[in-house]
Amino acid sequence: MTEPVVQVTGLSKRFATGADAVTVLAELSFALPAGASLALTGRSGSGKSTLLNLLCGLEAPEAGRLQVFGEAFAAGDDGVAGDASARWARLRRRAIGVVFQDANLMPALTLLENVRLRATLAGQPTAPAADWLARLGLAELANRYPDQVSGGQRQRAALAMVFAMNPGLILADEPTGSLDHHTADDVADSLFSLQQHSGCGLILATHDPALAARCQYRLDLGHDRPELAATSALPSAAAPP
Amino acid sequence: MTLFAALFSHYRRHPLQLLALALMIVLATTLWTGVHHLTDRARVSLAESERAVAGQQQLVRDDGQPVTVQDFANLRRAGLCVMPWLEVRRPPPAGRVIGVDPFAATCFGDQAPGQAGSDALNGEPFLDIGEAAQLSTNGGEGVLSLLVPQTVDPAQLPPGYQLRGFSLGPATGELGESFLLNLDALGVLVLLITALLVRSVYQLGLVQRRESFALLTRFGVPGGRVWGWLLAEMAALTALCVLPGLWLGRWLAALLGGGFGAALENLFDTPLYAVGAGGVAVPALVMGAVVLAACFADRRLLRYLPAARYVGTWPAALVGLVVGLLLVRFATVLGWLFAGIALVFVAVGVLTPRALAGMAQWRARAGEGLGKWRRRELAVVFRRLALPVVALQFAVAMVLAVQALVSTFENTFEVWLGQRLEAEFYVEVPAFVAVADGVHYLDGLAGLGDWHLVQRGRAQLESAGGTPALPQVDLFAISPVGPLVTGWTLLVAAPDAWSRLAAGEGVMVNEQLARRQGYEPGDTITFRLDGRARTLPVLGVYADYGRPAGEILTAGQVLPAAFQPRFVSFSINPGALAMDDVRQGLAAAWGTEALTARDNQSIQTLASGVFDQTFLLTRAITVLTLVLAGASLLIMGWVFFTTRVWYYRLLSVWGLTRREAANQLRWLAVALTGCVALVALPLGVWLTWVLVARINPLAFGWSLPMAVYPGFWLEMLGWCLLIGVVISLLMGRQLRGLTPAPAMANVAAGGER
Repeated sequence: MTEPVVQVTGLSKRFATGADAVTVLAELSFALPAGASLALTGRSGSGKSTLLNLLCGLEAPEAGRLQVFGEAFAAGDDGVAGDASARWARLRRRAIGVVFQDANLMPALTLLENVRLRATLAGQPTAPAADWLARLGLAELANRYPDQVSGGQRQRAALAMVFAMNPGLILADEPTGSLDHHTADDVADSLFSLQQHSGCGLILATHDPALAARCQYRLDLGHDRPELAATSALPSAAAPP
Repeated sequence: MTLFAALFSHYRRHPLQLLALALMIVLATTLWTGVHHLTDRARVSLAESERAVAGQQQLVRDDGQPVTVQDFANLRRAGLCVMPWLEVRRPPPAGRVIGVDPFAATCFGDQAPGQAGSDALNGEPFLDIGEAAQLSTNGGEGVLSLLVPQTVDPAQLPPGYQLRGFSLGPATGELGESFLLNLDALGVLVLLITALLVRSVYQLGLVQRRESFALLTRFGVPGGRVWGWLLAEMAALTALCVLPGLWLGRWLAALLGGGFGAALENLFDTPLYAVGAGGVAVPALVMGAVVLAACFADRRLLRYLPAARYVGTWPAALVGLVVGLLLVRFATVLGWLFAGIALVFVAVGVLTPRALAGMAQWRARAGEGLGKWRRRELAVVFRRLALPVVALQFAVAMVLAVQALVSTFENTFEVWLGQRLEAEFYVEVPAFVAVADGVHYLDGLAGLGDWHLVQRGRAQLESAGGTPALPQVDLFAISPVGPLVTGWTLLVAAPDAWSRLAAGEGVMVNEQLARRQGYEPGDTITFRLDGRARTLPVLGVYADYGRPAGEILTAGQVLPAAFQPRFVSFSINPGALAMDDVRQGLAAAWGTEALTARDNQSIQTLASGVFDQTFLLTRAITVLTLVLAGASLLIMGWVFFTTRVWYYRLLSVWGLTRREAANQLRWLAVALTGCVALVALPLGVWLTWVLVARINPLAFGWSLPMAVYPGFWLEMLGWCLLIGVVISLLMGRQLRGLTPAPAMANVAAGGER
């Protein structure tokens, strides 16, 4: 059994809304093997984006523990250890690529400059940046600014950025949510193809059942007690951990 | 929900934006109203003072003896309108007071000197003549004059008396106009800056509302209706905010006006600062019009980011800049000069954001990684915050220019005054005494320091052909020409100018006359004194500040024997002797008791103090403008940053710690304000040059030396950087907590480039 790239134990998250508090995630536990893909599904507000934010340290849990690439984090870490945010920042910089539904690019930089910037921050060489754009069909558009290309092209540029940093894990929050069906398929094809080629883990939040079906695992956060389930995309030898 | 409610709902969601806009209108109104009110009151006050001190005449005795109370009684009995004027000089710090008789003044009507015809002027330093007489007997030095109205004809006078001119002090008009011109120019600049600030704050608010406008258009609402409601919304807000602004502006003017009033009183010995209410309609209408014009000057605001579009007019701006610079350089009348200045400011306002953005883009080419991103982001900020950037640039330039002008003036004035008041004392020669007796007495006085005789009068300039088409000028004759004047700094001079002047081989002219008539050393000047024409070479040009009149400086020996001076005095350094002894000796030589020796040092101290106070006011206004511009940039930065915060959040997603992301923001804000300070510097230096070398000579005939103050530049740079740090600290608060992805489509698509 491969060591999990992400291990979540008893993770809880609540949001205060005025006098009330809404529990979004309650005692969630699961583990994702390295190189595997996981689809987070569930109705709006079920906590998909929140879980992605927790998995890259952009939000802090109320309770529970997280282990990402062997780095352990627990609720209240910042208050006790004080260095959790710095460790999370290090992980996001080097190992975790995040793709949002849109606005993944710096508007003042061209597509190529965006990819090079992300590679630089990750400590990766910048020379392959143009290659990554070319592999995603953006070679001709490399020197255009984000507002000069289409939404689908921007999302593919965002994928190029993520792969240029050579990540161990990709977190994608509805990466095709704002795209038309055809373009969404193109972007999804690119995402899964490159993910499988690079062997990195992938966790994506989506409402699209077809996209979810392309992942090896699925976690439906709409359930009261969500559990990791294998999909048909998972080779029969690999069972959920 | 009505259309207006739908439009206004934006401010329900963003109340701080509404507050910022309201605050900006209030502050802008406060500042401009303050300046306007101050200028208005100063103008009224100076007009009153003109009337108070100008054109009086007095009666003197034919026998040269001082007039007495008995003379007053005789003249009144003879039916003449006479007012006693008892000037009492007291030892410092009490200073001079003047006793007047209000009952005797009634025959002057509203032209009574010292009353100024206005209840707005308080009673100091005018007292009832009884109180002044009391002060006179208690150690004060009193001199009685008897004033008569201008309408009195010499033929009406009883035997034994004659008319002479009488002045309460220096005429306020020339110096006052100079000061008012400064205040007017400052007011126009302040109005321009405040208009820019209000416009910029409003525009950024509109950026966030454009999505709503687009939605309403899709719902079928005509653009004109949206425009109309926006206008109504802004008109209502303006009406609400202008009123407290007016009140605060008046409060500000009253606060600053105290110092100004004190300055004028010291300068003119009369309470000149009127504190009346003045009208509110004009400032309210002006501010209302400016705010609405600034916000609704064009309808493109609804559709575009105006700052990004305006920079497209740069070729026209470049032409405007060149034309403006040429106008300023070569204009021979003030109107064209001011038009040139306006043109330069408009052009600079258009060009600066573009130039700065271009520079940042150019610098980004060489960079890599975050450095490249920072510079590109800086270029965006320069374009998007174009108006507040320009407003801050203008404000900083104005502060730099005013500071340089004030410092230059203070330094120059101090040196000039020191030269002019080189002697420790001066003694006014009474009428009807033989000046030669005084000269003879001083000549024979052992142990006396340097001294000279000053004779002032008028001379008629003549052209080479002898036609008297040229103006009259003041004549300033000195004898002997010695160390009390030879230390004067000459603007230009021929070789051995002073020794040739002393020998009567030429004259010197003041800067005003040299500029007006184009005189240079080596030229000849022809002037007529008491019917006799003299032609002499110009030996030098000397600085003569604070008045526009042309003047010729000659040695006393050039004057014809029959020359009738208007004013005669001795400037004396007592040397080893006591000045009181010298004064008594002179009085004895002339057989008179009424002889006053004035202490030049105290005059110099007083004059310096007056200018210190006057310029304190100017400085206060400029600093307030700077604070307003800084606050505006802060507000604008805050509003603007709400549209950019996502990208800083993206940096955190990409692995920068919060501190590192905040540092990027700090760099950006500090670079922004630092660059503004740098581009303000040449504008400020240019404006200084315009003030000292162009406006003053054209308006008043004299220029000031151009000086620069790099220490103050650094100080201003420091202030600008501090503004940047404060902006970044306040903006940094938005980086805390979770930032949602941008909701606006244009932001999500990267349209805010």
